[in-house]
Amino acid sequence: MRKADSTRIRLRFRLTRAFIYFVLILGAVIAVFPFLWMVLTSLKTYGEYALRDPWPKALTLLPYRNLPPTEDVVVDLYPIEEGTWGGAPRSAQPLMEGRIPIEQVSAPVAEQLARRGEAPPLEVFILVADVDSEVEGYDTFYFTVGSRVIQQETVRARLGEGWKAPYYINAPDMERWGPQLIVVDNDPNHFVVRKTWRPTVMLIFNYIKSWYEADFARYTWNSVRLTFISVTGVVVFSTLAAYAFARMQFPGRNAIFTAFLATLMLPEVVTLIPNYAIVIQLDRFFERVLHIENAWLNNWTALTIPFMASTFSIFLLRQFFAQIPDELYDAALIDGCGHLRFLLQVVLPLSKAPLMSVIVLNGIWSWNAFLWPLIVTSDETWRPITVGLSKFTMEAAAEVHLMMAGAAITIIPILILYFFTQKQFTEGIATTGLKG
Amino acid sequence: MPNTTGVARSPQERARGRGARRRRIREALEAYLFLSPAAILLFAFGILPVGYAFYISLHRWRIQKGDFIGLANYTRLLGPSPKVAMLLVGIGLLIGAYYVWRAISFQSGGWQVGLRAILAALLIIGGLTLVLGADGMVRYAAEERTVRQYLLSVLRTVFYSAGTVPFQLIFAFLLANLLFQQIRGRSTFRMLYFLPYITPTVATAAVWRAIIFEPRQGLANTLLSFLGVAQENLPRWILEPQGVVVLLGEWLGISLPEWVVSSPVLSGPSLAMVAVCIYNIWVFTGYNTVIYLAGLGAIPYELYEAAEIDGAGRWQLLRHITLPLVSPTTYFLTLMGIIGTFKAVNHIYIMTQIVGLGGPQDTTTTAAIYIFKQFREGNRWGVASAAAFILLGIILLLTWVQNRVAEERVHYA
Repeated sequence: MRKADSTRIRLRFRLTRAFIYFVLILGAVIAVFPFLWMVLTSLKTYGEYALRDPWPKALTLLPYRNLPPTEDVVVDLYPIEEGTWGGAPRSAQPLMEGRIPIEQVSAPVAEQLARRGEAPPLEVFILVADVDSEVEGYDTFYFTVGSRVIQQETVRARLGEGWKAPYYINAPDMERWGPQLIVVDNDPNHFVVRKTWRPTVMLIFNYIKSWYEADFARYTWNSVRLTFISVTGVVVFSTLAAYAFARMQFPGRNAIFTAFLATLMLPEVVTLIPNYAIVIQLDRFFERVLHIENAWLNNWTALTIPFMASTFSIFLLRQFFAQIPDELYDAALIDGCGHLRFLLQVVLPLSKAPLMSVIVLNGIWSWNAFLWPLIVTSDETWRPITVGLSKFTMEAAAEVHLMMAGAAITIIPILILYFFTQKQFTEGIATTGLKG
Repeated sequence: MPNTTGVARSPQERARGRGARRRRIREALEAYLFLSPAAILLFAFGILPVGYAFYISLHRWRIQKGDFIGLANYTRLLGPSPKVAMLLVGIGLLIGAYYVWRAISFQSGGWQVGLRAILAALLIIGGLTLVLGADGMVRYAAEERTVRQYLLSVLRTVFYSAGTVPFQLIFAFLLANLLFQQIRGRSTFRMLYFLPYITPTVATAAVWRAIIFEPRQGLANTLLSFLGVAQENLPRWILEPQGVVVLLGEWLGISLPEWVVSSPVLSGPSLAMVAVCIYNIWVFTGYNTVIYLAGLGAIPYELYEAAEIDGAGRWQLLRHITLPLVSPTTYFLTLMGIIGTFKAVNHIYIMTQIVGLGGPQDTTTTAAIYIFKQFREGNRWGVASAAAFILLGIILLLTWVQNRVAEERVHYA
């Protein structure tokens, strides 16, 4: 009897545990799934996205299996004539006409190209001539460089089972799965093209493409610089102010502190308009009086300086500084140590944890800032990644796979920072509970 | 400094006093020096702008400053001043009623009767003026487009708060309580829940817009058709301006009366707004969970032990210990959540970018988006500032109410 009871209790306990874990894991899945879906979509081709394939082929081994080794292909050149393809057989119904880029050429070729006034990357016109759906391997196509027709072969789409359509129908997909062609020698009569397959490029192709299409290199660099500048400012100014509030006596201390805290209440949309007006006036002032053009608009100043006074950080640091025992200061005072030296040599080394919280939190906020940068930047010079991404999401609205690659590029630096510092992060949030 | 004690000081003491005083002055000066960078910046970009915004709101201001027009920008948004004044007086009287009600508990005898009478009068008059003022504004709004747009944007903000804050809190409270059990991998769960909050809004909102709420390929609709909820006429989410009540009625095959369909209140928030709400809940549930966890950690464990000895069940523990003792956290999160929905611009901006900011058909134009649109698209800085100022007033009023409620109802451990 008692045994039955205890097994029932144990069963009940187990069921409760199972339920708890079920709910917790469900919550985690909901929190994480959009990110996973984003990454999956960012690895798809346009076709896979449109056909609602849940799993991108790039994540299977199919595209990378049995890739032929690098080979040098000697192609014959025919002088081009109007309307013909140099005697080459041209299909009546070409499956594709399009351009592919040739990214690198060897030094002698580059020289020759330079003489003709061209430089890599070369846009090469290609025309898929004959396609036999039964044959595995490569189909012949022809491309032209300058005034010459080059016979070349292209990769067959049917790289493995389950491929839905001949992939090179879609020019971008051809670019993704096709070989990289490097012209290594262009003898007047024999053009030597080196054909290599690039599995990495096949995998992260969308990332590479959106990186260049939206100039993410510049946006990322801007965001890194802006984050660095504003975090440095926040750390210096907040440490000084927090120290004054925590450890120094001066008239009006409480009133000033209350005024500081009151600014936390202000919504950004209220201060947005007057701040923009202020920045415009500062910009005009600098131009007229100091003869510096664009000192504020389209510059790091407007993007970082208003955020350098962070009430949140002052509050967080003050809480910590106030806990440092007075005896330490009294001892330091006897050694003839002033406030600044005490702050630098005693307080700061003791405050690594809250400082880390301040750095991490402000870093992330600065990286994520959107509305203000959107308003005060009108060109690329200092435009941060969030604004760049919002522009890109409009431009690439139809190419969702590229858009998701862009979103991932924006998120990844934050994720890396977060995974290394998540303890400071959640604790910083939980102890002060600010910034909703 | 006059010698107040009347006892003559020795020269050394006086010197020491002077030294201490000089040290104090020095310290104060040094403190101001330490404070100055942060204080100057906060003043320039935090406090000064509030006054400046008010100044702008009193002018016709379209990029360039125009004529002084007094409160015209406000009446443009709220309707004619008598009605608005009635509304404000009503609110003021109700606030007064609150203070009288507070005073009653400290008084006794004859005073109490008188105070009760005053309270009743204040409540009735205040309530009446409030309702009449609001009614007048609504009537006026039917005629005046600008007033209607603004009041609708406030209504949508209310929808937005009501559609997000309760859900955030319930989910977060549930998750925090479960996490608070003896759980393996607690910090991993906490880290994962927090992920949506720290990642850039621009990126996550783009993700939700493009691959979850996308009507044809999106995950939400794929899931719906997979579950067999609907195969055709799948919801258009962010593209759908129709109210959810109307949509639900259509889906269930109930024909709703015309006055429900045409009423902006009864037809409910648009499906686009619901999509924005779902995104918001996804972002903030994790943040609220972390704060709740801190709140739960602060409850002394002895209370639970004592209650268990008294034979309290799991449900009773939750009802009588956990809920009252985390109520400060709940109130804090409610306030932050509501203020958050009043401020929210970024994710609505990104999510409705393709249908036009605040779209479709303006149904996601909350008060904050309205301000932003007036500012950026209409270039009406004066109107935008006036709207921002009204928003600030609402936020301050909410904070005040929240604080009063918190004082009455929250049990501080």
